[in-house]
Amino acid sequence: MNSSLALDLEKTSRTANGGIVVLLGLFALAGNFISFYFHFGTVAFLLLVLLNTYWRHFQSSHTLLANFGFLAQFRYLAESVGPEFRQYLFSSDTEERPFNRNERAEVYRKSKGIDSSSAFGTLLSYDPEEAKIRHSFYPTDKQRLEKFDVAVGAARGLETTYHINRPIMISAMSYGALGENTVRSLARGAKLAGIPMNTGEGGYPKYHLMENCDLIFQLGTAKFGVRNEEGYLDDQKLADLAAKDQIKMIEIKLSQGAKPGKGGLLPKEKITKEIAELRGVPQDKDVLSPAHHLECVDAKTTVEFLARVQKVGGLPTGMKFCLGRDDEFRELVQEMKRQKTLPDFITVDGGEGGTGAAPKSFMDDLGMPLFEALPLVHQILSEEGVRAQIVLFASGKLISPGKQIKAMSLGADVAYSARGFLLSLGCIQALQCNKNSCPVGITTHEPHLQKGLNIEDKSKRVANYVDALHHEFDELLAATGAASASSLTTKNIYFSNANQSVAANN
Amino acid sequence: MKTTLPTRLAQVVAASILIFASVMKFKGDPGAIEIFTKLEMEPGGRYIAAIFEMLAGLLLLSSFAAFGSVLAIGMMAGALIAHATRLGLEVNNDGGALVGQLAIVLLSSLFVAISRRKEIPIIGSSF
Repeated sequence: MNSSLALDLEKTSRTANGGIVVLLGLFALAGNFISFYFHFGTVAFLLLVLLNTYWRHFQSSHTLLANFGFLAQFRYLAESVGPEFRQYLFSSDTEERPFNRNERAEVYRKSKGIDSSSAFGTLLSYDPEEAKIRHSFYPTDKQRLEKFDVAVGAARGLETTYHINRPIMISAMSYGALGENTVRSLARGAKLAGIPMNTGEGGYPKYHLMENCDLIFQLGTAKFGVRNEEGYLDDQKLADLAAKDQIKMIEIKLSQGAKPGKGGLLPKEKITKEIAELRGVPQDKDVLSPAHHLECVDAKTTVEFLARVQKVGGLPTGMKFCLGRDDEFRELVQEMKRQKTLPDFITVDGGEGGTGAAPKSFMDDLGMPLFEALPLVHQILSEEGVRAQIVLFASGKLISPGKQIKAMSLGADVAYSARGFLLSLGCIQALQCNKNSCPVGITTHEPHLQKGLNIEDKSKRVANYVDALHHEFDELLAATGAASASSLTTKNIYFSNANQSVAANN
Repeated sequence: MKTTLPTRLAQVVAASILIFASVMKFKGDPGAIEIFTKLEMEPGGRYIAAIFEMLAGLLLLSSFAAFGSVLAIGMMAGALIAHATRLGLEVNNDGGALVGQLAIVLLSSLFVAISRRKEIPIIGSSF
């Protein structure tokens, strides 16, 4: 495009590069002949000229700097502050990802106990491709709504059967990814709200245990906290942990939505004495999290491992995964039937799930989305005749009651959220969880950043969020005409033509 | 980035000299007054230089040492210009001690700036 107003960048940069040399000379002369004060300018331009000479003639890693000199730095400057400008000024209320401003504001209001009613109409484009909840002509009277109660472990007749009484739980986030104050705020909030909290795979849940809430211990592929030196399960350590009163369930993590099929690496520089103790790893070696449990190499060994954990732990035990191939999952379920070992629950994590750190390509391109995977898992379990014995948890951006109702219509029994709870703590979606520099002190271990995160205050917000979610969940449930969440089916959800395949499968 | 012992040492050396020089200027040390009189900057220039030296010294001792080192390099470049154009190598028969101090601060600040260059926003990533 040619415009008379267009700036000729090459000419401008040539002028600027020459201009600073001329200015340097002028300041030097003025400093010498008029007043020494002008040498302040001489020094400033001298440094700029030296830097500019380096950028233009002695480096080759930045083409723009080599071609255009110091003016190119303005591009890097603008680029570096771009995300903040977009977030605060230029992005509309509904276009940010992973959560837009409206979604975040809704969580903030719920967690602060502020009225969250809006006026005039939806701000969404009411996207016809998105699933919507179907309401009934005959909504359920509030007093007829049944109490939310999901029993995990009841199918096996376990004495340790655990009852979940609210539709939402705190999903897996480990100490390590989160700071100490965050873990304690969430745990205290969970206790106040009467919901269980998943410990994440970060090893012995020291800070989770401090607040006396119910816990789901997550057994990650590296088995932090319950591993032997080679990274295999140490039965005794698991038995000791499971014997703790607060540990109510065990979740074997096969994969995670944000990075399915990927292990992690904990560099030795980041392993403090405390983390080494909690995770049960040496402090002087990098720790590799394998992509799969060393014990689980096929369906047979995976089910054997499940049976072993169920036996050693004696608690309701399930598995978490992000669905990849449904034929593999069916094979796994058939193997469970052969070995007469069913998990007490299955957590289906959508590919849109969150993480503290993962390679971008894994976040963007791997794993089935929750609303496609969930009905498939529900369908396979039903077809194999074991659905009634297994509780289904769902996770993946389920931060609002509407999404939770949709998930339950697609087969879930209980919803999990991690990032929703981070937002309730005041997360501003700065997207720095992997940098230890979280400005609101949530995903950092820096004491000066954690200082602002008051455990007493924030734990109340967590509880407020759960209360407000549950209240609205009941209202929506009543509107569907159902008496309980367990009676929701795909009949309660509307799919556009684009998504008919999901409905057709059920 | 991990800060090495030599870098920390260089920070402390440069900061000590800068803070000492700054205090002498604030106190109105006769040597400093003479220098700034020769530069025709007395007393304003002396106070400005003292403020910048103090700031550079304190920054060098803080987590913003990279910024302190750049400021110190600037100050020392200015001092070099003064010695080259008006003061000469020897000031008040000091046998070149002042220029020696200047060289120590300049070299240690350069060392700090180079080893902590990644901490300087925008510019740091180009090295």
